Formats: sequence, C-alpha cells, structure tokens
Amino acid sequence: MSAYLVSMATYAGFFMILALALNLQWGLTGMVNFGIAGFYALGAYTSGLLSAKAGWPLGLSIPMAIAAGFAAGGLVALLSMRLREDFLAIVTLGVGEVIRLIVLNEDQITEGPRGLRIEAQPFQSLMAPENYPVFYLGFVAFFVAITYWICERIRKAPMGRTLRAIREDDVVAGVLGKNVFRHRIQIFAIGGGFMGLAGALYAHYSQNISPEVFMPTVAMFIWMSVIVGGAGNNRGLLIGAGTVIMFLEGTRFFGDVLPWLDAETMSSVRIITIGLLLIVTLRLRPRGLLPEPKFTYTRDKIAG
Amino acid sequence: MNLQIFVNALVNAALIAPPAMAFSLLFGVLKFPNFAIGGYITLGAFAAYTFNVPLGLPLPLATLGAMLFTGFVVWLAHVWVFKPMQDQSAVTLLVVSIALTLILESVVRLFFSADVRGFDIPLERPWKFWGARITREQVEIIACAVVLATGLHVLLRHTRIGRAMRAVADNPMLAAIRGVDAAKITALTTVLCGAIFGLTGVFAGLDLVIEPLVGWNLTIPIFAAAILGGIGSPYGAILGALLLGLAEELTILVLPSTYKIAVGFVIIAIFLLLRPQGLFGTAEIKK
Amino acid sequence: MSFHMNRRSFLAAGTAALLVPTILRAQESDIAIGSLTPNTGGGAPFGPNITAAHKRVVDAVNAAGGILGRQVRLFQENSETNPETAVRAADKLINVNGVCAIVGTFSSSVTLGVMPKCQAANVVQMCTSSSSDIPVADEKGLVFNFQPLSPIWGRAIGELVKSRGIETFGLMALNNDFTRSMMDGFIEIVGQDALLNEPFYYNAQQSSYRSEVTQLIEKNPQAVFVPSYVTDFTAVYKELYRQGYEGTVITTSLSTGPQFKEAIGGAAEGIVHGFPVPAINSPAYKEYLVEAGLEASDSVQHPFGTAGRDQLTTLLLAIEKAGSTAGPDIAKAVWEVTTGEGKTTVYNLADGLAALRAGKDINYSGASGSIEFDEEGMVLGRDFQLSEIRDGEDVVIERLEY
Repeated sequence: MSAYLVSMATYAGFFMILALALNLQWGLTGMVNFGIAGFYALGAYTSGLLSAKAGWPLGLSIPMAIAAGFAAGGLVALLSMRLREDFLAIVTLGVGEVIRLIVLNEDQITEGPRGLRIEAQPFQSLMAPENYPVFYLGFVAFFVAITYWICERIRKAPMGRTLRAIREDDVVAGVLGKNVFRHRIQIFAIGGGFMGLAGALYAHYSQNISPEVFMPTVAMFIWMSVIVGGAGNNRGLLIGAGTVIMFLEGTRFFGDVLPWLDAETMSSVRIITIGLLLIVTLRLRPRGLLPEPKFTYTRDKIAG
Repeated sequence: MNLQIFVNALVNAALIAPPAMAFSLLFGVLKFPNFAIGGYITLGAFAAYTFNVPLGLPLPLATLGAMLFTGFVVWLAHVWVFKPMQDQSAVTLLVVSIALTLILESVVRLFFSADVRGFDIPLERPWKFWGARITREQVEIIACAVVLATGLHVLLRHTRIGRAMRAVADNPMLAAIRGVDAAKITALTTVLCGAIFGLTGVFAGLDLVIEPLVGWNLTIPIFAAAILGGIGSPYGAILGALLLGLAEELTILVLPSTYKIAVGFVIIAIFLLLRPQGLFGTAEIKK
Repeated sequence: MSFHMNRRSFLAAGTAALLVPTILRAQESDIAIGSLTPNTGGGAPFGPNITAAHKRVVDAVNAAGGILGRQVRLFQENSETNPETAVRAADKLINVNGVCAIVGTFSSSVTLGVMPKCQAANVVQMCTSSSSDIPVADEKGLVFNFQPLSPIWGRAIGELVKSRGIETFGLMALNNDFTRSMMDGFIEIVGQDALLNEPFYYNAQQSSYRSEVTQLIEKNPQAVFVPSYVTDFTAVYKELYRQGYEGTVITTSLSTGPQFKEAIGGAAEGIVHGFPVPAINSPAYKEYLVEAGLEASDSVQHPFGTAGRDQLTTLLLAIEKAGSTAGPDIAKAVWEVTTGEGKTTVYNLADGLAALRAGKDINYSGASGSIEFDEEGMVLGRDFQLSEIRDGEDVVIERLEY
C-alpha cells in the first residue's frame, strides 16, 4: 500500500509541476496554454531520446528537455500577442497535437507508436532497487519545491505585479511603459521549461513512453487542477493537482468494493465524477478552493 | 488530381457546415468556443440510433426525435451549467465545456458501451460521372446542408426572432434596452443550435460510424470551418467548410495522410493570426 | 502559515487515502490476480470479452475449492487502451492488491508501459500484444504473449490471398504498431511489385476517410488490404463501398466481428478476412462457446475472449504446479503446463487441476490455440484461417496450418 501511495505522490508531483507552470502562464499572466501535453511530450522525448539513443548522461539530457520546453514556450508566446485567450486555447491545443503527431509519425527517430524504452534513471546505481521509488519521490518533490519557489518569487517580485497588470489589461500595462511583449515571452518560456522538466521526470520514471501518453486529456487534468485549486494561487493548485489525482485514482477503489461495477462502467463513472468535480467546484466556489489572495506582497511584507 | 477530390471536399463540407453555423450562433450568445458540441453530436447520433434501431422508427422520424432531444439537452446544459457560470472567464467556460463533453461521452458509453453501430438503412453504391462517384445519401446530406443554411440566413436576416438573436449577439445590453428579452432569445438559440447538432449526429452516424467519440472527432474541423468562414456568418461557414475540405484533400497529396488531423489546426492558426475576422465574418475575435 | 495548513491537509488527505483501501485488500489467504483489460479506448470492442472470460475462470475455480487450497481473488482494472492510465492501474494492482500476475493487456504500448513496474515487482504478465520489443524488454522472462506477433499475421494473410490468385494490391493501415507491422509482413510475402500504391497509414479518429480511400483505389487494384480495428474499419469500408470499389477487400477478422456486420448489413458481402484461429474443432474452443453462451459458427468468435480464458487457465495451472505465487516460480511452471510433448493434454482448468493433483504432467491446449511457448514466452504459431463474408455469415475459405 505505501508503495502505491509513494507512486501516486510521484504522479501528483508531475501534475504539480505542470500545474505550477500553467499557473505562471495563465493564472498570473493570463496567457492560455492548452498544449500542455505537447510540452510534456517534448520534455519526455528530448531527454528520453538523448539518453536512450544518443547515450547522453541524464545530467545533460534533462537540462536539454528544459531547454526544449523553454524554446518552444518562447515561440508559442508569439502567438499570444494577437489572439483572444479562448482562441489561443484552440491554437495551443493544436500545437500540442502537432507535437504528438510528429512523435507518432517520425518513427525513424522517435520509435513512433512502438513507444520508446528508456533504461536510464537518475542516481540509479547509488541505491538498492527497493529504495528507488522513495528516492524518486524525493527527487520529484525537490523539483516541485524548486518550481514552487521560483513561481512564488516571480509572483511576489515587482515583476509579478507587472504580470498581473498584463493579465488584467495588457493595453494599460503597455501604456504604463511595461514591455508586455518581452514579459509574455519570458513567462511562457519559463512555463514551457517547467513542463519540459516534468516530461523528463516522467520519462525516466515510467521508462517507457509512447505518443498515446500525451493525449489532450493530460492538458484537461492540469487545467482542472488549476481551476479547482484556484487560479493565481500556487498553494491552491498544489491542492488542486492532489485532488485531481485523488479523484482519478480514488475512484478505482469503487470497483473493489462494488463488484457489480465492471471495468467498463467504472471508467465511465470515473470520468463523470471528475467532470462533475469541476462543475460542482465552480458552482460552489467560483474562484477555486483557495482563491488568489489580493495584494499578497504587502501582507507578506507585514508578516515578514 | 481528379474530380473525386472535389466531390470528397463537398461531402465533407456538407457534414461540417451546419454544425459550424450552429457553433457560430452559439458563440454569438455565449461568447466562448464551446467544446461541448462534441458531446452534443454524439448524443444526437445515439438518440437517433435508439429511435431508429431498437424502437424501429423510420430514419426521418428518428432524426426529428434526435433533434428535439439534443435541443432539449443543450438547453438544459445552458440552464444548469453555463448560465450560472456566466461571470467566469471564457477560458474557464471552455474547460467546463470540455468536461461536459467528457461527461456526455461517458454517459453514452455507460448505456451503449463502445461498440460500433449503424442505422437501419442499407449502404448504397454510387452514381458515377466523369470519373467521380457520389451516392444518393451524400446528395441528400448536401441538399440538407444547403436548405439549412438558406433557412438560417432567412431566419437571421428576415424574421423578428432572427434579428433579436443578432441583436443579443452583438450587444446584449443594447438589445435589452430595445425591449428584447435576452434570456428568452438565448434559450431559443441554444435549442435551435442543439437541434442542428442532433442532425449532425445523424449525418455523422450515416457517414462514419455511431460510436461515443464520433462528435469529438468532428470538433476541430467544425471550429476550423467556423473560424475560416468568419464567426457569425452562416454562408461563411459553408465556404469555410468547403475550403477546409479541399485543404485536407490536397494536403495528403504532399504530406503523409497521418498529418491530416493537423490541417484543421494549422488553418485555425493561420486565419486567427492573419485574418481573425475570417473570410466573411464581422465578429470581433481578435483581442 | 498557510503553507503548514497545506501540508496538514495534504497529510490528512494522504491518511484518508491510506485508510480506505486497507479495507479493500485481499485477505492474506487469497491469491490475488490482476486483470488489466482495454475496456474503453481503441481496444474497447475486445476488452469486455477478455474481462468476462477472466471472471468466468475465476468464479468456476473458486466454486470448486480454489487453488492450493486458497480462494482466487480477481481485481479488474480498465487500461483505457492508454499506457498513461494503465501504469497507474498496474501500480494499484501490484502495490495495493498485491497481485502476482497482471493478465489481459492488449495494446503493445500498454504491455510495454506496465512492464517496468511488473519486472521490478516480479509480477508475471500475460498479454495479447504484437510488438517485437516485448521479448526484448522482458529481461526477467516473466512475460507470456498469447498472440502471434503481427508480422506473422501479415505473412499468413499474404500467403493465403496470394494462393487465391490475386496479383495487384492497394495497401493502407491504421497507424499503430500492430497494424503497421502486419502490413510489413504482408508486403514481404506479396512483394513490392504487386503493390499499385505506395503503402500509407491513416489515424483513428479522423473526421473523414474519403481522401485516403480515393488514394487507395486510384489505380483500381484487384484487392485492397487494410489492417485495422473495427471502429476505423467500419468507416473506411463504408467509404470503399460508396466510392464504388468492386475488388476484394481484405482485413483482419478483428475488424469484421458481429458489430461490424450489424452496422454494415448486406454491403459486407464478399469481404475477406484472416485471423489466427483455434482449431475450431478443439474441445477447449467448444467449451468456451458454451461458457460464453455462444452458438457454434464458422466465424472466429471472441478472438480475445478465448485468449483471456487461456491466460487465466494457464496462470492458475502454473500456480498449482509451482505450488507458489512467486513470479519466477509461476513463469517457470507456465512452460511446464503448456509446452512439451508426451504429456496429458487438458482443455480446461478443472481437468488440468485434477491431472496435476493426480501427479501427471500436463499440456494445456486452449480455446485460442494450442498454447505452446517458445523460450521467449511468445506463443508458437497458431493456425490461420481466411474467411469470406457470405450472406452475413463468415464462411471459411482457406486454412493455413503451422
């Protein structure tokens, strides 16, 4: 049982990094990204291919995954300049799908639908296999903490105010002399980098990745994490990501106690439950479980 | 390159254009891209299947039933889900609409499983002309699309209800001042659009297969056609659907066909970036 | 301050999650087995049959007193034909339910996806998958594949149609590993020169298959071969018919099951489809039909359901034989109860258990095939059968015996 909780917590960790990254892009700066699965795939395949096929050490391949996500994020940010947010959603969804199609179709490089097998795991040789899952949870938690720390720093820094200003009204922010364009690209790129990191961590954890892993449903779960948790609030969405994983996984146990629920019915019930979670949360708490606090930075200063 | 490519594009367009028009209308009153249309179309297909096969009604009657049923469900979704959330941002509503599609698909799966199904009518061999082939059923689908587009045009331009719909879409506040009951008009629009999605479900079931994902698979092409033609323009949606169909057909001459799914997305991106009003639209979808 | 609150609520949530499932664990004395089947997604048309077959075997053995004097508890999970979901489901099966084997995985990406977890926990896997990576990835020798690898399918179907005198072909395949390598095997046999088009792939979930079909039949080949699953094939076939193609349509029997015939009706006439089959006269297959409540016919019925029965039967026989539920012991015993000559042939679990308990060596011959494994755990060749749909029924036209 505890091994199961360890691995679910590890999954929650991947979701948390993705949710933090999305919050940076959307919650803080107002740039929509539905291509999360694409960035996740980009990170996973960059690190996976570099280590499995080019024999790079993980110390280089994982940073490359971050760099790939970072670069892709910067490029996609260019789109956000001209698009209303809901249409940017469709375009970024397209970006994610195109990345998945490339991974699927360019099978000479990516192994396509066969899936890519990755042997390498960070610090694998240093410990006994039975301790490794716990170590990996710690490894992921470490990166969640770093991501959280960086996101909080950005939010509380003067830059955070600028970003919120861009989110509320980019024209006004521009008139006030803020370089809206540069900030947008920076934030989208940083978010993309985190998503790439999450992908690399996933790839070396699961050791087997295939295009089917990176369907748009992943983006959906991350969006639900952020909206349920409370957009703009980094703590809230850690809870959001945990909640979504708990709902996704917790519903599994219905099947063990209710034998008349067959596997097929179960998965329908699971998806219905998750969908209702979002709708009910929004009906009861329109700003999420932990809403974004107003003027956080002043309160923090007083508290500190 | 042969005539068949144009026939293919025409049939695709006839399938995509009506829901693209409905999507456009719905966008006008609700102001966000509604991904729930995938779920609505699936629902329409299965409703018609239920009337047609287990209950044994003839297909035209089953289609009518499906349109009524889907119209009702779309109205219900509006009242229960979207209306209470109208203060949320467009993106939040978009995420909710995806969740709604997932819920509807799962409900369908709960009752019908994922088996493929078909209506109770035989497949037909095509008529052949100048090396191209088309079936009677396809001609009927095309005719339906044309009638529907004309009907919508007349409704929007030449009737009081239609003018009220456009007024609410343009500026709900102003419409209210002029004495238009916006809530009633919105409800009417959702039912009308729902009926069109139900009809699309039937066409999709005829053309492809009846299965829970049938609506989701059509969603992006529908968005692409609506954006290409210009949101808010029914004729634009037809032309958009045609051009999209042609673009898809022509792409596979140069790219592996496995990239076909990307064509819709690329068209959406290009148009939104270069000509956000689409070919004929007036609606403001740029920021 | 609120960070502590967050941690506290996280801990509370964790504890709650920890408490609930402990109630659900199998009793220590039960033998826990995981069934991980594709009940939704691409494998949805086949998963429910596998699930049901697994359950029938377990119910029957429990009614007859269980294995090694213990009851068998089957934990069923849906892989959704998606490796991402499947890995987490496997995690739950292994770490919460404590299963000694995971059976019923279908698509290669799922089988390969859960493999690292299974190998680490010494859990036996039994699958019906096609990727030739499976034996490579199976470092501990714990994986048994109950389906021939798909190039073998392609070659067998190629042999069978070639002998029917068809000379020119059009080829397209669904874009996944199973169908792509089937196409490769097919080309090996019929030869590049027989192809009138450059073979290409299409994706499932397209909004139309018109242009693909136009391309496929452009040069009017005598036959088209479309390795596929049932959902996409139904749409593709409708389009082939509507575009007036009059040649022979060849596919796998996976795509032409009862659902397909129901959806297409009379227009399905003349489709030729091939599949690895049980000896239809095999007692195990006949028993399966009775167990599943099916009428005997010429069609390949429940191609994966039969494999599901064989998986669980083999597994339980191996556990009885090994006298243990440790993965490596079970794996070793799987060969002993299925493969090798001069043993007592058994066709079902009850007879097998009786024979084992009487001290005999057994060889299980199953409903999906004779079930003999090579040293890599891949099932050895099964018979292939080519059928044609006539008046809505499958009629056997040729058979290839290995």
